[in-house]
Amino acid sequence: MGSDSDSSTSADDSAADNADPNPNSTLIDQNLDAIEDQLASIVLAQPNDIEDSSSEQEVFKDAPNGSLLDEDNQQEIGGGEIVGDEVEVVSSSIGVVWRSSELEVDQPSSPSSSGYAGERGSSGATSASEIEEAGGDRIREVGRDDSFDGVSDSQAPWVPGKRHADEDDASVSWRKRKKHFFILSHSGKPIYSRYGDEHKLAGFSATLQAIISFVENGGDHVKLVRAGKHQVVFLVKGPIYLVCISCTGEPYESLRGQLELIYGQMILILTKSVNRCFEKNPKFDMTPLLGGTDVVFSSLIHSFSWNPATFLHAYTCLPLAYATRQAAGAILHDVADSGVLFAILMCKHKVVSLVGAQKASLHPDDVLLLSNFVMSSESFRTSESFSPICLPRYNPMAFLYAYVHYLDVDTYLMLLTTSSDAFYHLKDCRIRIEMVLLKSNVLSEVQRSMLDGGMRVEDLSVDPSPRSGSSSPHLGQSRLATDSLDRFQEAFVGIGGPAGLWHFIYRSIYLDQYASSEFSSPINSLQQQKRLYRAYQKLYASMHDKGNGPHKTQFRRDENYVLLCWVTQDFELYAAFDPLADKALAIKTCNRVCQWVKDVENEIFLLGASPFSW
Amino acid sequence: MGLSSVTTGSDATKFCIFDLRRGQHEGEELDKILFFYPADLPFSTQLSVIGLSEGLITFTRIFSPEAACEVIEAEGHSHVFYEAEPDVWMVMIVEKSKESEAIWRIDALRRVLKEVHSLFMMFHGSIRALLDKEPSGGLVRSHLYTFIMDYLSDFLVGKKLQLPNFRDSLKERGTVQMLTIGREAAIEVQEDTINLFTYAVLRFSPRALSSGLSSWSYLRKGNVSSHAATGSVSANSGAVLDQFYRSSGGDPSYHIARPLQQDKWTKGKDGFLVSDIWKAEAGSSAATTPTIWLQKTEEKVFLCTFQHRNLTLILLFPVISLLNEEQGISLVKQQVLENASLKIVKVEEKLSKGWGGENAYHVSGCRYLLVDGDRNVSRASPPTKVTTLTKESLVALNKLREEVDLEKSRAKSDSPDSDKDMEICIRAKNNAWVIARFTRGKELYMVLEKANETLLYASDTVENFSNRYCNGLFSLD
Repeated sequence: MGSDSDSSTSADDSAADNADPNPNSTLIDQNLDAIEDQLASIVLAQPNDIEDSSSEQEVFKDAPNGSLLDEDNQQEIGGGEIVGDEVEVVSSSIGVVWRSSELEVDQPSSPSSSGYAGERGSSGATSASEIEEAGGDRIREVGRDDSFDGVSDSQAPWVPGKRHADEDDASVSWRKRKKHFFILSHSGKPIYSRYGDEHKLAGFSATLQAIISFVENGGDHVKLVRAGKHQVVFLVKGPIYLVCISCTGEPYESLRGQLELIYGQMILILTKSVNRCFEKNPKFDMTPLLGGTDVVFSSLIHSFSWNPATFLHAYTCLPLAYATRQAAGAILHDVADSGVLFAILMCKHKVVSLVGAQKASLHPDDVLLLSNFVMSSESFRTSESFSPICLPRYNPMAFLYAYVHYLDVDTYLMLLTTSSDAFYHLKDCRIRIEMVLLKSNVLSEVQRSMLDGGMRVEDLSVDPSPRSGSSSPHLGQSRLATDSLDRFQEAFVGIGGPAGLWHFIYRSIYLDQYASSEFSSPINSLQQQKRLYRAYQKLYASMHDKGNGPHKTQFRRDENYVLLCWVTQDFELYAAFDPLADKALAIKTCNRVCQWVKDVENEIFLLGASPFSW
Repeated sequence: MGLSSVTTGSDATKFCIFDLRRGQHEGEELDKILFFYPADLPFSTQLSVIGLSEGLITFTRIFSPEAACEVIEAEGHSHVFYEAEPDVWMVMIVEKSKESEAIWRIDALRRVLKEVHSLFMMFHGSIRALLDKEPSGGLVRSHLYTFIMDYLSDFLVGKKLQLPNFRDSLKERGTVQMLTIGREAAIEVQEDTINLFTYAVLRFSPRALSSGLSSWSYLRKGNVSSHAATGSVSANSGAVLDQFYRSSGGDPSYHIARPLQQDKWTKGKDGFLVSDIWKAEAGSSAATTPTIWLQKTEEKVFLCTFQHRNLTLILLFPVISLLNEEQGISLVKQQVLENASLKIVKVEEKLSKGWGGENAYHVSGCRYLLVDGDRNVSRASPPTKVTTLTKESLVALNKLREEVDLEKSRAKSDSPDSDKDMEICIRAKNNAWVIARFTRGKELYMVLEKANETLLYASDTVENFSNRYCNGLFSLD
C-alpha cells in the first residue's frame, strides 16, 4: 500500500510512463476497456453510473493527506491520532524495516523495476527464468503445485512483505501468479493488491468494481466466476470489496473464508467505523490509512498455505505440562481482574495461555488475526508497544488497546484493554507476569516445548493395550520396550506412523482448539506440507457443506493420500495416510489417535479457559 | 435495469445464444443476439444479460486465455456458459429459488447446452455456416428459434422449464444406455451416434409415437407431461418472433423444418417411420426423406428409420450416393424388407425375451450410475428405483458429483493423458453412504441407504458391485 508513493500519479500516467515489460499490454488495456464498455454501454438506462465510479482520472485526487503514517513511526504510546474529519482511525504502530538487509533475498532483476519497487525493499526479485516467491505460490510456468523435488528452494524461510511491486495487470508474470488478492473500495479505488503496485492497478480495480456493481444493480450478488482452472471469488463488505483470483484448486468456501480473514485483518487495523468515511465521501482513498501494513497482509496470506487455524476456526496450544500451563493461567487471571480485558501469552502462533475478564471470550479468528498482526510487525519485537487494535469478532466497531511485549524471541504477552491510557498500568502488569513466569520456569518450559515439538505419528503405539495413565515425556504413548526397536527402524525408513499414518489434526469442538501432529517423513518439504494442507482444506470444505453438512465420515483416496475424516459432536479428526494404506488398518489407527489425544489432552489443550471453571 | 427486471419474466430460466463477432459497434448491439429465451423480454434486458456474459468472457481471458468463463455463481442465479462454436456462446441462467428443487449441477446443465447444439448441427449444420450463408442473421435466428423452442418443450412442466436437477444425479446426458450385448456386436459410440440415439429416444421411441406399446426402460423418454404445454410457448412469444426473429431477415417466410416438433412421426404400413416435417422445406406435397449432417465426416446423409415393435433400426446413406432420391430410397426400403425384416423380427423376439424388463439393471441394496467416458456409454439403476432415495441422499450425491466434476476437469487440464484415479466415500448426515469412484476414464456413483455404518461395509459393497458388473474395474487389486 503505497503511502510512500507519489499520490498524485494517476493510473493512466503510470502505466504509460513505465518501461513496459510486456508487449501485450496494449491488448490487455483494450481488454479492460472492452469489459467496461460491455458492462457499461450495454446497460441502456443503468441508474447507477458505472462510468463515473470507475473513472480512473480521479483515483488519487482526494487522498486526505498522503503522509499520514510515516514509515519511521516505530511505535507510539497512547492511542490514536484522529484521521479524516470524523472517524477515529488510528494509525497502526507498525514500523516496517523496509531495508533490513537480511530480508532482501536478491537484487531486483526485472528491467522494469521502478525506483518505487526498490524503495519498498521489494524482496520479490527473482531469476529471470523462474518467477516465484519463497514459500508462496509459484506461477504456473514454473510447474504444477505438486511438481516439487524434495529439496527445492522453497525450503528457504518465507520472507514477509510485498512481492513483485513492479508488476501490474499489463505484465505477463502478474497475470500468471497463482493467487491474487485484492481489496478495493466500492468506487473502484484499489486499497490492497498482493502482487503489483496498487496505483498502477487502478484500471483493473475499476473493472472488478464494474463487475460487482453490474450484478448488484441487477438485484443479485456475484459470488464466484469459474474459468478453466481459475476461480474469481468476490466478497462484498459494505463499501469494501474483496476479490481473490486463484488457480490453486482450493474450494470456493475456503477462498471465501480467506477473504473474510483478510477483511477481518483490515478491521483489526482500522475498525469497521472506516465505513463512515465512505458514507461521507464515496471516493475516499483508504490506502494511506493502511500504509506500511503490507507485511501484515502478506503474512496472513502466507498463513493460508500452512496454518490450519485459517480454515478450522480454532487455535492451537503449545504442548505443556498441565501444571505449567496452570501456573501461567493463574498469573494472567490475576491481571485480568485489574481491568485487563484479555491477557494472552503466545509462542509464535501457539497459545500458552489466555484469560478473558468476566464473560469476555475470544474468537479463534481474533486470536489468529491478532497474533498475525503482532508477529508480522517488526516493531513489536524491538520494544514494548501500546497499539490500538480492533477484534473484529469481539466488537468490529471499537478499538481496544493492546500492550505487547516479547518475553523472549518467540514468546510474547498481549494485554488488551478498553482504556487508551492504561499503558503504565499494563506495563506494571507485564512486569509482574514476567517475574512469575520466570520464577515458575514457565518460560524455560515453553522454550523446551518448542524444541521438543508436539505429537509425532511415529510415537503412536501399535499396541492398543491400555496405557499407564500418566503420559510419557514428549507426549509419546507409553509402550513396551520391545516396541521401540520396531519404531526406531520405522522412523528410519521414513514411512511415518503405524498403518502408513503420515499426519493428523484433531479439533475439539467445545474448546475451539486443535492439535496436529508434527510433520514427519515423508511430508518433509514445505511444498509437500502445503499440498497436504490444501488437501485437508478441501476435505474440510467437503465435510462442512453448507446445505447438506456436516457429513459424518469421509474416506478419500487419490494418487497422493488416503484421507480420513470423522466428525462427531465433540471432535473432528482429519488424518492423512500413505495412498496405499489399508482401509481397515487406517480406521483402527484413527481410533487409536483419538484415544491418544484424550490421554494427553491436559497437555495439548488449554482446559478451563473460562476463569470461572477453576 | 439489469437482472432484476430480467427476473420479472414469467420464467426463471433464461437462455441465450450470441456471436462475439457481431454487433461490436455502438448502435448495432442487437446484431449479436441470435437467440433469447424468453423471447418477449425487452431488448435492453436481453442486451444486459449478454453484456455481462461478454464482459466476463473478456475478463477471464486475462488470466485464463485457454478457457474463458464457464460459470458465474451469484446468490440468486447460476449462469452456465458454453462456447458452442468459436465465438458463438450459449449461456443459460437458472434461478436458485428458495423452492427446494432448484439444486443443480453445473456440468449437467452444460450438457443440456451441448446436446441442443449437437442436435441442431445434425439437422441444420453449424451456426457459423448459417450466418455466413445469410449475414443479416435472419436465417440462423429463425432456425435456432424454432429448433430450440421445440427442444425446450420437452422440459416444460406447466409453464416452467424444469431442467435436470439433483434428482437426475444418477443419470448422464450425452451417453448411450446400452443393452448388455457382446462387445463385438456393440457399435462404437461417437458424437453422431449419441445424437441419433438422443433423437431416436426423444421422437422415435414407442411412447413418443404413441403406439401404446410398452417400451424398454433403457430408452430415455421425452417428458410426456409436456405435450400439452407446447402450444403456449409459441403463443407467448409470437409477436416478438415476427418482429425480430423473422422480419429482420427481410424474408418473412423461411421454410424451416422442425425435426424436434412433437408427435410428427408415425409408423407407415411398411414399418418405416414417416413424417411430414420435411414436406414444407421441399415445397412439394410428397413427404421427403429427411437428411442430417454427420459431424465426423461432415457428410449429408439420408435418415431412414424402420421400426418393429421395440426395435428401432436407423439407416443412413450419403445423399451423393443416390442419383434419384425417390427411386433410391424406395429401393433401399424394399431391400430391407426383403432381406432383413425376418431377421429383425427374430432379433426383436430374442431381445424381448431376454430382456429383464424395467428392473433388468436393478442391483438390490444400492442405487448406482456407471459411466464409461471413453465409450460414451452408461448404465444406471432404473429411474423408478432412484425415486425411492431421500432428497438428502440425492442432494449429497449431487454435491459430490460437482466435486468430482471439478477434479476431473482439473486433472484433464493438468495432464490430458493421465488417468485420474480417486475414491470418495461419504457418510452423510442422514446416514446414507454416498460414493464416487473414478478410474481409467470410468466413473461409478453409488448411494447406499439404510446401510451398515462402517466404512468397510460401504467399500465391500462397491467391491462386490465392481467384481460382478465391471470386471473388477473398481476393485482394489
